[in-house]
Amino acid sequence: MRQRPWLVLVAGFGGLLLLMAAAETGALLSLKSLRGSETSLQARFLSRNRTLEQIRSNLYLSGTYARDSLLAPEQSGAQAQIVALENLRRDTEAALETYAQSLEPEEASPFRALRSEIDAYWRVLNRTFAWTPEERNKFRYAFFYEELIPRRTSMLQIADRVAALNEQALRRGDETLGAVFGRLQVGLQAMIAFTLLGGASLAGLTIFHILRLERQAGLRLTETEQAQASLQELSAKLVRAQENERRALSRELHDEIGQSFSAVLLEAENLLDLEPAPAVRAHLESIRSVAEKGMNEIRNMALLLRPSMLDDFGLVPALDWQARETAKRSGMRVHVTSELDDELPEEHKTCIYRVVQEALNNCSRHAQASMVQVVVRGETGRILLSVQDDGSGFDTQRVRGLGLLGMEERVRHLGGSFAIDSHAGRGTRLEIALPIATWNGNGNGNGNSHPAG
Amino acid sequence: METETRILLADDHNILRDGMRLLLERQPGFMVVGEAADGREAVELAREHRPDVVVIDIAMPNMNGIEATRRMVEKNSRIGVVILSMHYDESYVIRSLKAGARAYLLKDAVKAELIGAIHAVVDGRSYFSPKISRILQEDYVQILGRKSADDTYELLTDREREVLQLVAEGKTNKEIANTLHLSLYTVDTHRTHILQKLNLHSVPEVILYAVRKGIIS
Repeated sequence: MRQRPWLVLVAGFGGLLLLMAAAETGALLSLKSLRGSETSLQARFLSRNRTLEQIRSNLYLSGTYARDSLLAPEQSGAQAQIVALENLRRDTEAALETYAQSLEPEEASPFRALRSEIDAYWRVLNRTFAWTPEERNKFRYAFFYEELIPRRTSMLQIADRVAALNEQALRRGDETLGAVFGRLQVGLQAMIAFTLLGGASLAGLTIFHILRLERQAGLRLTETEQAQASLQELSAKLVRAQENERRALSRELHDEIGQSFSAVLLEAENLLDLEPAPAVRAHLESIRSVAEKGMNEIRNMALLLRPSMLDDFGLVPALDWQARETAKRSGMRVHVTSELDDELPEEHKTCIYRVVQEALNNCSRHAQASMVQVVVRGETGRILLSVQDDGSGFDTQRVRGLGLLGMEERVRHLGGSFAIDSHAGRGTRLEIALPIATWNGNGNGNGNSHPAG
Repeated sequence: METETRILLADDHNILRDGMRLLLERQPGFMVVGEAADGREAVELAREHRPDVVVIDIAMPNMNGIEATRRMVEKNSRIGVVILSMHYDESYVIRSLKAGARAYLLKDAVKAELIGAIHAVVDGRSYFSPKISRILQEDYVQILGRKSADDTYELLTDREREVLQLVAEGKTNKEIANTLHLSLYTVDTHRTHILQKLNLHSVPEVILYAVRKGIIS
């Protein structure tokens, strides 16, 4: 679920849609077949009914023809009726055959009875065909009322029973269809309920999952922010630790090792005063020159690590020194203008000094500038620094060296703003502003200044 | 000043103090009256022994040499302070001068220059290691060379240049008046004009200016 939420969603929603489509198609097909069954049921009933009706009417008609043949005075008249009766009999036999083809099981015995009755009826009628006119006159009433009518009535009764059975079959068919329809209805209801349930649970699952994703994203964001904050804190700590270490190293080099070299130098010179043997003198001269060289190297190293003026006298003397050093090394003119009368807190002082140092480095290394203007000003609540050169400039969007990033980082640690404005051929202007709570521009001490030491 | 020159040594390195003591005591007329290992001790010993000259390092524990100089000069303006330091930079030189020091020596030139520097401050003159003078001049030329328009020295009259040199050498107005046969009032006026034209505000700045220009060394 975590790796492939889209797969689960596609499977869930797709499955639900397929299910709904299948249910709908099934219901439509069932309805269609139901309708077909109903129609064929009706048609079957009607055609059977029609056949029965024909049998009944033939039987009625046969009575009429039989009576007419019995009543006919002439043999020829009776013969015509007999021919009509023969026709009726064939017709009825055909109808009976038709009906027999689609016989319901429970109709079998009444239908057999009907058939034998009819056969018997025709046999009885057949007997009358051979009668002479006298026999007809003599037996016709007795035959008509005692033989023919009761037989016809009995046959019609059987036919009615068959018709009733036919109707029953229709009703049964209707009931079966009704049951099928009812099952279809239940099935549809179940399907709708199932689909609703599935949709609801899928929606619930999706909502739950999305909420969980959102919560996870929130957690991750918080984690990232915390990590970023602690990273920044760490880097600020690192910068502070590095600066402290540099200060300690610089002092140690200058005050201890450098001074030791100067003591060695003086001792060697004192020994030289004692007019030693030439071989000893040569060694002493060598010691002296090594000590002198060592002193100079140590002093330069200490200044490079962290100029002692920064701690002894403050920012401006350190900036002045840096400007002179850069000027000597690179040949650029470097002007430092400062309107600060008061000493800054340690971190602000170091930040501005390092930013200027890096900026001057950039100017001499990359910008081919001939003049650099460094301005430090105090305003109420903040310190402003600008470094402007007349060098080649650069594209601030593309070039973002480690030096620039380091500067920006230092400034951001103190909650300050950092801006670089540069265009190819039109020099570079760097501006930073550092907020400082206890600062009122250039007035009273802020309690954080360092005594010269 | 026929008597011995009384000297106080202040440096937190024993070996260096020993070396200096050895060097100085070989000189006739010099006497080391005390040794201090930090600035605070130096101020106390200066009050106790009232030396003519204090040779003092800048970088020392408890109280640095510049602050100690300021306090010693405050108590006794005649005291001649010779700063002995590893620092080249003008910020150290100007602050030492402002605190009242009259000589600034680099530690790699103790043997060659300490005795000369002590003689200079005893005579009321300033002294700077040639190396320091050279660096200050180079820096100055560096800056000046690139904004050639304002070499303010050209604004001074010949008389003002004479006065400037004497001020830079540590002479009082009265001594200058005597040397140049001028009235005190005239010397004071010259002095004011010099400070205005050169945009300077104190005697130490004048001295530094003079060193940079090579007027004194």
